[in-house]
Amino acid sequence: MRTSIMSQMQRSFSIELPKLVPLQLPSRMETHLWYVIPDEVKSTSLLKQYSQLLSPPENDKVLQMRGDKLQKNALLARTLVRTTIARYQTNNGVDPRTLMFKKNMYGKPEVDWQNYKNCSDPPLHFNISHTDSLVACGVTLHVPVGIDLEDKDRKIKHDVLTLAERFYSTDEVTFLSTIPDPEVQRKEFIKLWTLKEAYVKALGKGFSAAPFNTFTIQFKAGTNGGYNLCKEETKKCNRDWKFGLLELADSHYAAVCIEDDQARAPMRVIVRKTIPFVEDELISESKFL
Amino acid sequence: MASLSTTSLSFKAPSTRISQVLRKGSSFQSVAFGRFASSTSKTSLRLQISCAAKAETVQKVSDIVKEQLALTADTPLTAESKFTALGADSLDTVEIVMALEEKFNISVEESDAQNITTIQEAADLIEDLVQKKPAA
Repeated sequence: MRTSIMSQMQRSFSIELPKLVPLQLPSRMETHLWYVIPDEVKSTSLLKQYSQLLSPPENDKVLQMRGDKLQKNALLARTLVRTTIARYQTNNGVDPRTLMFKKNMYGKPEVDWQNYKNCSDPPLHFNISHTDSLVACGVTLHVPVGIDLEDKDRKIKHDVLTLAERFYSTDEVTFLSTIPDPEVQRKEFIKLWTLKEAYVKALGKGFSAAPFNTFTIQFKAGTNGGYNLCKEETKKCNRDWKFGLLELADSHYAAVCIEDDQARAPMRVIVRKTIPFVEDELISESKFL
Repeated sequence: MASLSTTSLSFKAPSTRISQVLRKGSSFQSVAFGRFASSTSKTSLRLQISCAAKAETVQKVSDIVKEQLALTADTPLTAESKFTALGADSLDTVEIVMALEEKFNISVEESDAQNITTIQEAADLIEDLVQKKPAA
């Protein structure tokens, strides 16, 4: 849903925003993974500044969330996207309020670059995920990206194998059923969920284009955290899709998936923690599980 | 304490649903877009005619949702509440649908599951499936 440029301009441009520190663009095989810990963002004046970045429809969506905590996390998610993308526009510094977003035909959010035809920076891709306690945004250059987060300690109410048999591929069910310890099994189930979700989000065609039981993601031993994506029916594997699985903030699994048909080098993920307008902290580089 | 009453379910003004119908697809949140989001929200424009069975079903669905999402007692919850607005991610929605299957002894097709985005929609589907079951 796009608002016109004029209504964007009329919206509180008189309010001074703090300056955003510009960022160097990711290289082609790199994903920049940014995260915010909502509990660390306490200042109400800062949150108010954040809400001024959002478009009216975005603000409406935030307000539709039921409860303060969910509203705050939704606000932080949009803030993270807007400020992060704006920082990568190294020419002239883009005001995060002017960024426009659209959805592809399947509903995947993208930056709408129509107003930046003169901008020489190539378009960026992004994807967001958040849980109760963490908000993250992955950014890439040229290549589609999908990310997913899950709390490592997330309780699964149903039997893990029952869920797997219903939703995962046969090879994945086999893999999970050979794990004797139920706690390890639960963790592996969740890791697989984030990887599969990240793939579907990177694909950008909605869940029905790639139901979970139509593909397998399997760990490639000895490749520093690499995974293979293979079709359930044909068992053929597609090397264009790259995966990385990491731990974030000691509390979450994060899966990153990109599609790159050109590079054969392993993907890299640079993780940074941030509080928009306040601080950044480099956390890790390609530290995969 | 349950926050639902028959009147609040059945007489929601249809005009508030228009904005939801116009809004395309699912939101930017962590739920995989398009997974359990209906792009046309076709049930939203239908006038909800309430009867005792529906209210009871909605209550049971709400209880399951509250439990799955560990909602606090003071979370505002209505039949129109979207799962995503309550903080459900894709795994929550899957577990909610499975819990509903167990509670009501029904089987939900994945394509039907993808169209459930609110408590009311879940209740409607359940009533539909329960009705279609052969008599025990």
